[in-house]
Amino acid sequence: MYISMKKVSSIFIVDDDPITVFGIKKVLKPVAICDDIQIFQNGKEAFDALKERTENNRCIPEVIFLDINMPIMDGWDFLEELMGLDIKERIIINMITSSIDPLDYQKWNEYKDRCPHTLNFKNKPIFKIETSDLDSIDMAS
Amino acid sequence: MKAVERIAQHYLLKQLPKATAFVAMDGLVVDASDSWLNVFGIHPKNSAEINILHLYPERDGLRKKLSSNKSFSIRHQTGSGTMAKWFESTFAPWFDEKENVVGSIIQTDDISREMAMELELEKVNNILKTKSEVAQVGCWEYDIATEQLFWCEETKKIHMVPPSYHPNVADAIAFYKQGYSRNKISMLFHSAIHEGTPFNKKLTILTQTGEEKWVSVAGRPLSENGKIVKLFGTIQDITEQVTTETRIKQHQQLLTALIDNLPLNVFVKDLDSKKILVNKAECDYLGKSAKEVIGKTDFDHYDKEVAKISREEDLEVIRTLKPMLGKETISIKKDGQITYFLTSKIPLFDLEGKISGLIGIGMDITAMKKKEDQLRNLINITSVQNKKLINFAHIVSHNLRSHSANFSMLLKFLSEEKDEAEKAHIMTMLNQASDSLLETLENLNQVVDINTNVTLSKKPLNLNESIDKVRQNLSAFLEKNKVKIINNIPQDMVVWSVPAYLDSIILNLVTNAVKYRSPERSPIITMDAKKRNKTLIFSVSDNGLGIDLERYGDKIFGMYKTFHNRKDAKGIGLYIIKNQIEAMGGSITVNSEVDKGATFNVYFNEESK
Repeated sequence: MYISMKKVSSIFIVDDDPITVFGIKKVLKPVAICDDIQIFQNGKEAFDALKERTENNRCIPEVIFLDINMPIMDGWDFLEELMGLDIKERIIINMITSSIDPLDYQKWNEYKDRCPHTLNFKNKPIFKIETSDLDSIDMAS
Repeated sequence: MKAVERIAQHYLLKQLPKATAFVAMDGLVVDASDSWLNVFGIHPKNSAEINILHLYPERDGLRKKLSSNKSFSIRHQTGSGTMAKWFESTFAPWFDEKENVVGSIIQTDDISREMAMELELEKVNNILKTKSEVAQVGCWEYDIATEQLFWCEETKKIHMVPPSYHPNVADAIAFYKQGYSRNKISMLFHSAIHEGTPFNKKLTILTQTGEEKWVSVAGRPLSENGKIVKLFGTIQDITEQVTTETRIKQHQQLLTALIDNLPLNVFVKDLDSKKILVNKAECDYLGKSAKEVIGKTDFDHYDKEVAKISREEDLEVIRTLKPMLGKETISIKKDGQITYFLTSKIPLFDLEGKISGLIGIGMDITAMKKKEDQLRNLINITSVQNKKLINFAHIVSHNLRSHSANFSMLLKFLSEEKDEAEKAHIMTMLNQASDSLLETLENLNQVVDINTNVTLSKKPLNLNESIDKVRQNLSAFLEKNKVKIINNIPQDMVVWSVPAYLDSIILNLVTNAVKYRSPERSPIITMDAKKRNKTLIFSVSDNGLGIDLERYGDKIFGMYKTFHNRKDAKGIGLYIIKNQIEAMGGSITVNSEVDKGATFNVYFNEESK
């Protein structure tokens, strides 16, 4: 069986649940090689870091795992703020939630059309991550 | 000699002023006065060979009578039209010296005047009779001396007795219906005879044929030389009139009863909006008698604005002639009492079809309105409850799902893991997941408890005692954080609350105030309480971090909503006390400014106990 390992320059994991963070990190291991994985407890922390990176011309994360329900700034608010930033690269954003609320799915659909980045919707539990989750389809080679 | 005698006789007779003639048995005029001849228009010179049989009508009858040797009289006429004259001729037997009848002596009188008078009388009588027939007025007369009672034809007709009937007083009175009518007529008749009191009364009679009739009977005494000699009176059949009157009265009564017993306010207004008729319900509503209401306008009973609107409605109906139907109106009386009506105003036309005012009908729908409000309130509460339920269901599903997702993920990892150290790590995480699931379940249970235990009874509690209890429990925590508490609550302030809820409310508000303190200031908590109307307002203010209400305002009391980056922030405390406060019929609000502090106001509802 051929397992492709994808080289990813930078990954953000934004989730306030340590178990989920542990899980994401664990399932990333077999599919991605990344030396820059950053963990954030909520949207605000992640946004502040992202903003800092753009201002200092540092490397922008290629992939973001984003929880929806978080304190202070939730996933949706983070997306809203992200779209306000001037980022040329197309980021792959995997929205991860345990919610089965159809409203969340609907909201994702709306954001998918508006957001210049790739927006995936993933329900917990996460057992594995496909390489496609780390790559934009239009950029796949 | 005979001739001389005759001339002498003739000469004597000729000059008699009274028309006189002597005729022989065969009717031949033997001699006559000029005046007699003149009656028949005969010149005295032509008086020979005149037979009366040619002068009088009914020749055969006259011939017979002449030979009967008896006195009789004949009425006869000369001329015609306005020239007509009436005469009466009296025939008496003419005896000779030997007492033998030799002919008749005729004496003729001009009775034109009498005849005219007689005709006139007959005419008057006819008119009277017709009149009395048409008007159904009969007359009666009673002669006191002879005790004779006379009834005219119409009177007999009214009593339904034959024309030949001869009344007497006792029978006449017996015609009156036993009881009131008979007693009354006896009395009236008696006092008319003895005291001369005239009377006029409506009474009932039973006719000969047993028919009941209403009559108007009147009597008037006639006096001669200061003594009552006669009673004269009339009697009129007024059955139809009385029946009609009774029917009208019955109709009127029916209408009045109907209008008065309608559970609706009914009124009639004239063109100036003055009330000209009101029913009982309207009077009761206004708290006034009909007399006090009639002639008044709405401005006399209602608030000025309300009266103005009502007048405008009236004018619109009068102008357009179109009814205003089932309009919801508000009436505010001068004493401030508010009533809701479903009002209709219908144009009222006079007999000529001209608008003369309007009929108003108002249905009091205040009770319905209140029920509607209650219902709306209930719907609001229900929809709030529903929202809460949906929200709760989401929380439950989300939280339980997130735990179960963690479990299945970790279990899958565990089953595939070879590395022992990693296995141990995953086990630790499973334990953590299990602990947090338990905690979540506990939290959810608590919320469910609050919302299901609506029967938990409120008790009067001394607010300060409860605060002291919480402070004691938190003493180590408060001391460690160097918290200063300023308590402005009066010593004897009593609050109605479920004891456990009050403790929870105080505990959560105090710990929150400490938890979210500013790192730059030592925490100061200020507590106040005041009563306003049926509400006790308990306030807890701090000088802590505060919260951006513009951003989080609607989420602050939500479940699992936290706004500060604190490890011990669970987002459950405020959610629980909000549920507890609402379960007791109260509410909670917050005022805050970022980095200045926050004030939580708890409104305890003292009305529902």
